[in-house]
Amino acid sequence: MIYVDNVTKEFKKVVKESGLKGSISSLFCRTYQTVRAVDDISFHVPKGEILGFIGANGAGKSTTIKMLTGILTPTSGKVKINGQVPYKNRKKYVQEIGVVFGQRTQLWWDLPLTETFSVLQQIYQVEEQEFQKRMAFLNQVLELEEFIKSPVRTLSLGQRMRADLAASMIHNPKVLFLDEPTIGLDVAVKNNIRKAITEINQQEQTTIILTTHDLNDIESLCKRIVMIDKGKIMYDGSLTEMKSKFGKYREVNFSLEQEAEFEKLSFAADFQVEKEDIKVNRSKEKITVTFHAGKISVQSMLSYLLKRVQIKDISVNDVNIEEIVCRMYGKEVTGA
Amino acid sequence: MRKFFRIYQSFTKAGVENAMAYRTSFLCFALGESLYCFVMYFIWKAIFLSSGDSSFLGFSMTDMTVYVFLSNLVGFLISTDSTDNLAEEIHDGSIIMRMIKPVNIDYSILAFELGNKVMVITCIFLPVMVGVEIYRYVTLGYVAFQLGNFLLFVVSVIFSYLLSFYLNLIFGYLAFFLLNIWGFSILKSSIINFFSGALIPLAFFPGAVRLVFEQLPFASLVYVPTMIYMGKYTGEELAFALGKQIFWLLAFVGISRFIWSLAQKRLAVQGG
Repeated sequence: MIYVDNVTKEFKKVVKESGLKGSISSLFCRTYQTVRAVDDISFHVPKGEILGFIGANGAGKSTTIKMLTGILTPTSGKVKINGQVPYKNRKKYVQEIGVVFGQRTQLWWDLPLTETFSVLQQIYQVEEQEFQKRMAFLNQVLELEEFIKSPVRTLSLGQRMRADLAASMIHNPKVLFLDEPTIGLDVAVKNNIRKAITEINQQEQTTIILTTHDLNDIESLCKRIVMIDKGKIMYDGSLTEMKSKFGKYREVNFSLEQEAEFEKLSFAADFQVEKEDIKVNRSKEKITVTFHAGKISVQSMLSYLLKRVQIKDISVNDVNIEEIVCRMYGKEVTGA
Repeated sequence: MRKFFRIYQSFTKAGVENAMAYRTSFLCFALGESLYCFVMYFIWKAIFLSSGDSSFLGFSMTDMTVYVFLSNLVGFLISTDSTDNLAEEIHDGSIIMRMIKPVNIDYSILAFELGNKVMVITCIFLPVMVGVEIYRYVTLGYVAFQLGNFLLFVVSVIFSYLLSFYLNLIFGYLAFFLLNIWGFSILKSSIINFFSGALIPLAFFPGAVRLVFEQLPFASLVYVPTMIYMGKYTGEELAFALGKQIFWLLAFVGISRFIWSLAQKRLAVQGG
């Protein structure tokens, strides 16, 4: 469905020296610097898969999405989606894809939402019957009814995002690109949107590429993730595999009957492990200890705690993916 | 072809509704521009009165009045925001929302703007034209309106508008390379105002200068349709004037397509 092979994108950037002097000299003589935003990445996505595309800010996610949607032309490498090359014959290619850029809107700012949909119906040449069916479906999963007659500028962010998502799917695209579709939304709306994405994926076998900073999105939607950093792919595989590979960590959350007892605990010394294998985080009453389960068993950790202090409340969890990603980003930065 | 119209007609419809959404702003614009017409009218009246002649370089006072109002009218009809709109979209990166739709960039902007033109024609053009004709009837004592000239005028204005649109689009595309085109936009307006005869009829310029100005694309914008409406062009002259419009239109469409293809290759989308 989606083939990305050895794709690289470079930008030319003007280098400006700082200060007024720099500004003036750059008026006459400009020096350029080549920035490699995406560096030789390859991945394939089969039909019907939801792929999570993650990375820190500026890692090259958006640039990649822009190449896949035909907006940017790669400096080198090949992209083939739906049997077409995105940046060649743009008009034909975009007919079969849907795109949401969470930070922008494709809706007509001053017009009621219904107008945007009818313009889109014409643009994509959707038959009336098909259009009605589609609208009914989107209405049901995204609950557009309550604001469909209001001008877009009066919508709340959550409403707008739901509308944008609907607008990207009005023509039943084969591939859907969602660039941060949950940015800035509250938990309820996020859940709503996730539910809608899942439903659409299951009903229509839509292939979806999703970028996000909210790892809960990834956890509830994607089986597979691609992580990118500084333009390079750092990880490509299933979520569970990543967890077992990088996530040998567990965390114990607990609170104490008497807070002063916290002094009795000194984990690193008592367990005789290195500092990076155990991390203690204390916020008000709640204490979180993250530890490497391969070096300290859950059992020994629990018995250690129960022996030393009086515990009011305790729970043991998998480390969430956020923690894993943080560690991976950190690793790359320090070069370890 | 029908598919083509169905697609872009939806943009025009949205354009009309968009213009309706800001009625007050539109009315203020119409009022402001009419005031400007009257200022121009009084300036030329003063010039005529001080010269003491009943005609000035072949223009009577009636001609001059008609020219002032009509050339301003043509100015509205062919005015376009495509430079600023496009440059703005390029500047803040929202042009990508246009690129992910299966439509032509230029046609979609054009079709949307036509919606606004529908408003200009019904709310400004028709009333002012009727006013001008009444004025001509009162001062001349006979009906000067000629259907033939009017139809040729309509054709010529359509060419002018497209010419103006593509000229402005080219300036808009420059934003891909310059990223901020505010200065260029001002320069462009001054050039167009001066060379198009919107400020001073080109007929008033000395021979050689006029000859050069008349060949430039800018003269085709306002001067040609206005002169056609007033019946100042006949036969060969008329055909030549329309031919020039078509020539420049094709040239500009070609240039804009070329720049767009260049721009796509080196496109750097700003802001995420």
